[in-house]
Amino acid sequence: MGFPVSLRIDDPDVPDGPADAVFAWLREVDRRFSPFREDSEVSRYGRGELPAGALSADLAHVLALSEELRRATGGAFDVRLPGRGLDPCAVVKGWSVQRAADLLTGAGLRRFCLNAGGDVAVAGGPWRVGVRHPGHADRLCAVLEVSHGGVATSARYERGDHILDGRTGLPATGLDSLTVVAPTLTEADAVATAAFALGEEGVAWAAAREGCEVFAVLPGGRVLHTPGVPVAA
Amino acid sequence: MKRALPVLVLSAAALVPLWRYEPSTGTASGGTAEAAPTGTPSAAASPGAAGSTVVTGSTVPTEKGDVQVQVTFEGDRITAVTMLRAPDHPQTANAVPKLVAETLRAQSAAIDTVSGATVTSDGYKESLQAALDARGL
Repeated sequence: MGFPVSLRIDDPDVPDGPADAVFAWLREVDRRFSPFREDSEVSRYGRGELPAGALSADLAHVLALSEELRRATGGAFDVRLPGRGLDPCAVVKGWSVQRAADLLTGAGLRRFCLNAGGDVAVAGGPWRVGVRHPGHADRLCAVLEVSHGGVATSARYERGDHILDGRTGLPATGLDSLTVVAPTLTEADAVATAAFALGEEGVAWAAAREGCEVFAVLPGGRVLHTPGVPVAA
Repeated sequence: MKRALPVLVLSAAALVPLWRYEPSTGTASGGTAEAAPTGTPSAAASPGAAGSTVVTGSTVPTEKGDVQVQVTFEGDRITAVTMLRAPDHPQTANAVPKLVAETLRAQSAAIDTVSGATVTSDGYKESLQAALDARGL
């Protein structure tokens, strides 16, 4: 999927194994789930070459989560848009990076910060997580203090619109940026993308999700956030 | 702390109690809390199983404005109620999560990492995260 991954581990003793396992896992995810690879499981299933019963447990889980979000957003979030192949990237990314974080935790690491293309999973904080300003690549619009969990942002930046509203098939333009803090990055990333597809109504929709805190930037420079979003002092 | 709407209704008549509904769980909001804007739904989403059914009510015009509700069933059990359309009325707005309104600010501050929309490998070179990573090496 071509995004940079930054991993910082602040434990006193850091063996090589867990970090290598993280990168190996993310490469494996790309091989198996990239819609841009013709031979990936996602591509083969999308073309109808795999029966549903032959899916890996991982892809079945990703598709179930995608379907839950499609229903919960009235179709605004949809991994199967007309005229496009199956593209569950929005769910795969957060899920796979959360799994990578779980690998680190499982290896006994307690304090780390994993950033995969702007999606953040942290443990053993507090960590200061900046939220990119939607209008200025080198500025922040908020600093969040997160000890454990995931932070994900969906946004329209200068390179254009990339999240489609499944109800219309057109780019979602109701929000400039929407950030979700959740107990897992799986939830944070999926909810951020789905809420962004919903547009302005997605802010309250995301805020109503159990465990989710939301920071949203609306066109015109208006910010809406949940009272509990962990803005750093 | 999140709230689910305790309404299981699809008809205009049965929606009347909605306007009397006051969230029973307080939020930690300060004096700046304000109601969410018109048209925002409140979803009580729960993991959907293969057997769930989503029923969308028709849009019902009321004296307070148009109302439309979507309900998700798992068998006989209601697992989610979503306001697809809600009138812009204070008591209705209270039923959706409290949101704090502020003005967008641009800042620079000491941080450990940056959350943003997916950064591609091309865009990474100029990103804040690249600067943070370079500092750590």
